[in-house]
Amino acid sequence: MNSTMTRRALAGLTAAAMLLASCGGDDAATTTTQPSATTGAPVTEPMPETSAPETTVGADDGFLTVPTEFATIQEAVDAAAEGEIVYIEPGTYNEAVSVTTNGITIRGADRNTVVLDGQFELENGIRALGSKDIVVENLTSMNYTKNGVFVTGVDGYRISYVTAYRTGDYGVYAFDSVNGQIDHIYAAGSPDAGIYIGECFPCNAVVSHVVSEHNGLGYSGTNSGGDLYIVESTFRYNRAGIVPNSGSYELCYPERQTTIIGNLVHSNNQGDTPAIDVALLAMGNGILVAGGVDNLIERNRVWDHDKTGIGLAPFPEDDPNDELPTQEEWDLTCEESKQVAPVDPGGAIIWDSWFNTVRDNVLEDNRQADLMAASVGTDVSTLGHCFSGNTFTTSAPNAIETLAPCDGTGSGDWMDNFYNIALWLTETPPPSVDWKVAELPALETLESMPDAATAPAVSAAGGPAALDLASIGVPDKP
Amino acid sequence: MRRTSDRSGRVVRRGFARRAGSVGALLGVVSLLGGCAPDGPTSVHQHNGGVSIGQPDEVIAGPQGRVPQFVVECAYSHAAQDDPIVWPGQPGMSHLHVFFGSTETNASSTTADLVAGDSTCDNQRDRAAYWSPALMNGQESIDPVKSTAYYRPGIGVDPQIVNAFPEGFTMVAGNSAATEEQPVSIVAWGCGAGIERSALPIDCGGERNLRLIVTFPDCWDGANLDSPDHHAHVAYSSKGVCPTSHPVPVLQLQFAVEYDWATDPTGLVLASGGQHTGHADFMNGWVQEVLETETRLCIHGEVVCGIASGRTDG
Repeated sequence: MNSTMTRRALAGLTAAAMLLASCGGDDAATTTTQPSATTGAPVTEPMPETSAPETTVGADDGFLTVPTEFATIQEAVDAAAEGEIVYIEPGTYNEAVSVTTNGITIRGADRNTVVLDGQFELENGIRALGSKDIVVENLTSMNYTKNGVFVTGVDGYRISYVTAYRTGDYGVYAFDSVNGQIDHIYAAGSPDAGIYIGECFPCNAVVSHVVSEHNGLGYSGTNSGGDLYIVESTFRYNRAGIVPNSGSYELCYPERQTTIIGNLVHSNNQGDTPAIDVALLAMGNGILVAGGVDNLIERNRVWDHDKTGIGLAPFPEDDPNDELPTQEEWDLTCEESKQVAPVDPGGAIIWDSWFNTVRDNVLEDNRQADLMAASVGTDVSTLGHCFSGNTFTTSAPNAIETLAPCDGTGSGDWMDNFYNIALWLTETPPPSVDWKVAELPALETLESMPDAATAPAVSAAGGPAALDLASIGVPDKP
Repeated sequence: MRRTSDRSGRVVRRGFARRAGSVGALLGVVSLLGGCAPDGPTSVHQHNGGVSIGQPDEVIAGPQGRVPQFVVECAYSHAAQDDPIVWPGQPGMSHLHVFFGSTETNASSTTADLVAGDSTCDNQRDRAAYWSPALMNGQESIDPVKSTAYYRPGIGVDPQIVNAFPEGFTMVAGNSAATEEQPVSIVAWGCGAGIERSALPIDCGGERNLRLIVTFPDCWDGANLDSPDHHAHVAYSSKGVCPTSHPVPVLQLQFAVEYDWATDPTGLVLASGGQHTGHADFMNGWVQEVLETETRLCIHGEVVCGIASGRTDG
């Protein structure tokens, strides 16, 4: 009996005992697993202690199967070794899984019928803490008071073919983590963002083939950037679509160097979502850089917004934890910036957006302006933004591509159709709706990963798959 | 201009804080000499004015993320003139408190009651009772908005040696009978989730809510779940080390209450009296294994398990 088989035999006995006893694990993050009758999933019979020879607990194939071999996902995760796959069979699992092991994959057999359900009591569906090379794929995570999937302090992560639905904070949340890939996600029903990457620079991360809707924000990234790409995704029916932003309540400010290419961004005016205050403030905008620096926004199709299609805006922070970083500090890595001591600025601060590039996007029916650049108290012409090659009708200020071309010198009157963004503070958008009961689209059957039952683990170490940015065009309207 | 890593720019009333800390240490020693019953709440309760032993080496403020933490945000539960730590079994004897976390808290609550009850917290398995004095505008209590509990290692304390609070553990921080400013490192006022700290309530300019921020001791005597003055069984670490009298490093709880008040605080008083009497109470009603798991995963694991952004539900 090799070590894996030994471990599985023991785990099988434990699983049987737990099923018979109908009690939870000793880890606070786990509760009893209950394969669902409603999903049509097979219900695994308890395994009598006397019938758990090693031959019945699975081949040594690198798959640790739940619940056949392990009663709970947490047990399997705790037993998994680097390179192994925790393979979850169809069913509903009322668990909050914590991962501290390096190099493991947590995979559902089917994205739509493997459901982690927090029942509005548990905090995170799957939470990876400080580990390296973690993969979560092919499952649904719903009804958690915090996040569907959360990685923090992780180096190397891939979250793929995951549905995050009705969660109290974010759908998919990467914090202080680098070398990541988030793809083929459906995220709906979070008051903050469906997808969030925060506090990393350089992040070296990719968000691709995501659909994020009915959230406060489709995408939010606070103090993140540097080799961070949001591509070929759809952000629709949120309060606001894609909102990179800065804030001093967490580290590594400002947000900078996020590349946003080839996305469909539309109809982000949704007033019946749960929403944090920032989402209320940003409501009605497609892509809104809120106090971000040196971002590239290119080849996106953006339409149907009550305010702006692509806006470069200031972001007020009424209760800051530091003074604004100097431009010299923009070059610090996240780790370097953590060594800089904060200074009480003595009052509110305003994060201006600086040096953003907006080119070759296609915009229509953004009712206040297709393209916008604004500030409060700073001359917008000095912020270093540029606009070129966009297909658009309206801008604020007018003729924005003449004022601030990406090649050559601008000319014109920056006060012509000056955008008074301070008016946003005077508006009263529809209030937030409780995330637990907000109306959401019913979950449809979504694409699962290919060959879940047989595909070998693919390491997330080393970061995301290479992108061919040049091959990404402006996407067609659906 | 590049800033340095010198942390002296923070708002700290160091001179007074040191003096108060010395007095606190003396009082603490006196309390310890008075003796404590082991393994359970004591039957003798000092009702007013206990003082913490020591104080944090510096004010804990600024961006989150430099040290490991987990955070629990709790909605306001209820108000009552009850205090199950200081006036156990005697309803109506206390000044008015505002309660967060456990929905069960009353004058007779035990930690077992709390664990068996419900919670207003985003982490439903944090059923601890947290409370502070009501903030009064004349005869009216100002509605609290929510509380935020930050759990971290004490300043400079090795995260690996930090322990979860034991079952049944209670403590008080801040002096409910103070007649002058307390150390800002223990009791402070701020605005929203910002860095600003003051010994007295401040005008938050209309945009941000006033917060009371109380930092609890992070060292325990290892024997007593409470003490007659509800302070003497715990103390603050200094330079990353717990005193020999209280050798067990425990989580450092920083507890903030946000009140629905954003303008001139002149005339506001705490229900415990004046503006100097800021304090807060904690009864451990966590599902114990959850508290221990969070301590292990987040504090020993040295990761940030949560951030309180100040970006609130709209």
